[in-house]
Amino acid sequence: MGFLRVEGLNKAFGGLKAVNNLNFEVAEGEILGIIGPNGSGKTTTLNLVTGFLTPTSGKITFRGEDITGLPRYRISQKGIARTFQLCKPFLDFTALQNVMVGRAYGQDPSGNLKTAAVESAEILELVGMASKSNVLVSDLTVMERKRLELARALATRPVLLLLDEFMAGLNPKEADEACGLITRIRAGNVTIIMVEHIVKAVCCISNRVLVLNMGSKIAEGSPDDITHDPQVIEVYLGKSHAQH
Amino acid sequence: MSTKQIIYLALIAVILVGLALFPFMTQDDSTFNLVILVFLYMTLASSWNILGGYTGQTNLGHAAFFGAGSLATRLLWVGGFPAVPSILAGGVIAVALALAIGIPAFKLKGVYFAIGTLALALILNITIGNVFPEMSYNPAISDYQIVPRYYLFLGLTVITIAAAYFLVNSRWGLGMMAVREGEEAAESLGISALRHKLLALAASAFFAGLAGSAFAYYHVSYYLNMPFGPEWTFDPMMMAYIGGTGTVIGPIIGSIFFVGLKQLLVWNVGEYHLIIFGVLFILIVLFLPGGLVEAWKKYQRWFTRWYQRRNTSPRNVIGTGHLP
Repeated sequence: MGFLRVEGLNKAFGGLKAVNNLNFEVAEGEILGIIGPNGSGKTTTLNLVTGFLTPTSGKITFRGEDITGLPRYRISQKGIARTFQLCKPFLDFTALQNVMVGRAYGQDPSGNLKTAAVESAEILELVGMASKSNVLVSDLTVMERKRLELARALATRPVLLLLDEFMAGLNPKEADEACGLITRIRAGNVTIIMVEHIVKAVCCISNRVLVLNMGSKIAEGSPDDITHDPQVIEVYLGKSHAQH
Repeated sequence: MSTKQIIYLALIAVILVGLALFPFMTQDDSTFNLVILVFLYMTLASSWNILGGYTGQTNLGHAAFFGAGSLATRLLWVGGFPAVPSILAGGVIAVALALAIGIPAFKLKGVYFAIGTLALALILNITIGNVFPEMSYNPAISDYQIVPRYYLFLGLTVITIAAAYFLVNSRWGLGMMAVREGEEAAESLGISALRHKLLALAASAFFAGLAGSAFAYYHVSYYLNMPFGPEWTFDPMMMAYIGGTGTVIGPIIGSIFFVGLKQLLVWNVGEYHLIIFGVLFILIVLFLPGGLVEAWKKYQRWFTRWYQRRNTSPRNVIGTGHLP
């Protein structure tokens, strides 16, 4: 019995099959990368697992429990957290208040707001945002907002964290920082699924990589195997490169 | 407790004692009526703010809950029920009505709640007007006393504001504000948006219903559909905006400001005051979306900066580039 198991997952938007008979498993404690070109169904898969979309058919099992079609807030309370591709912070809140929401709800929530505030401050420190705790979100930079988004997701005490294009829009130095951050979170016993557009960003920290194209899985394996897979090279770079 | 908190508490205590002693200072009925009107508006604006300001759900039919409370209370009371249970029944009926419209409307995304509540109030206004076309007279008309009614409104206002304060500073309040700031993000953190909206709606309608009940106990004679009129929605909403939505103090300041300005304008320009209020509302939404509370905060920030600059700028040094 896997930690997270996805079986025969399908999602159709009208005639378009965004996810087509997808099967995969995630083991506890690993970092799974999901990559693929634009429109390959990466974000749809993430939305299906977190309850933001309901699958047309298929089954998602988390720690032995069928979570298919559960409301998204119930899925969060079960210990599955996510971040958004375009950060969705609570703009009128301070950084601390943002994190407090996750701590006051989510899995194993704090009994009262005072405890939530103390625990949230600790989480902000973990992501290197302790000094920004009373700053309004509207005054934060892109990287700071990403850190905050991560802190807020962590505040729900997840055991499984899904990152939607976390590396997008970061410069190389920031991307390095982000890799360090994710590795540190993983060390705190959080299993991670990261959806990325950029192959390189995933390969440096993932244990395993899943490659999607047109809603179907085309390859699965270690980062090294994936980057040498002719089919993967073909979908990213075209047929001529794959032959070389 | 910090010094600031002690000052606030002392200030609140002084105001409450002053308001409690108010009937010993005046015998003038028109003064009572004016203060009662301010209390009524404070209750309506504060209750609207729980849902509209804190939870971000625009309720365009607050009058439906106000009207339902007043109708239930007036009918029961005229029918021979004692006043207190009649008044409480008004709050309960308003909550029932709110959930009946809220559950289906909130399950849909978008503007359905705003339109649903708007329609509800309009339909009730017309229907009640047709079902009860007669003027309703206060059962206590032969022995009418204003002072107990003053205390009823004072108590209701204090309870409403206190309830709003404790609700929005609780975990539920944090959840409600998170729903306002972003429903998807809030749900991704484990918040049921529907449940929070319904709680805010129920609290909002309960106090609006009680305000209607107090109105029914207070008012001498009126047509029973009058409390369902759109002005009972839009005036309190405007007060919340003028004072500052999403703050506890906003609706309080807004109500005082609104009633004061209205008195002044009615004396001077008569019916034209409606136009002035319309323009004022547009200006506030455009240029001061946080209302008077935001204006005050902006002023404070500006003042602090000005004060710091004044005390730190090296005025005696020539050529620092500071303008006089």
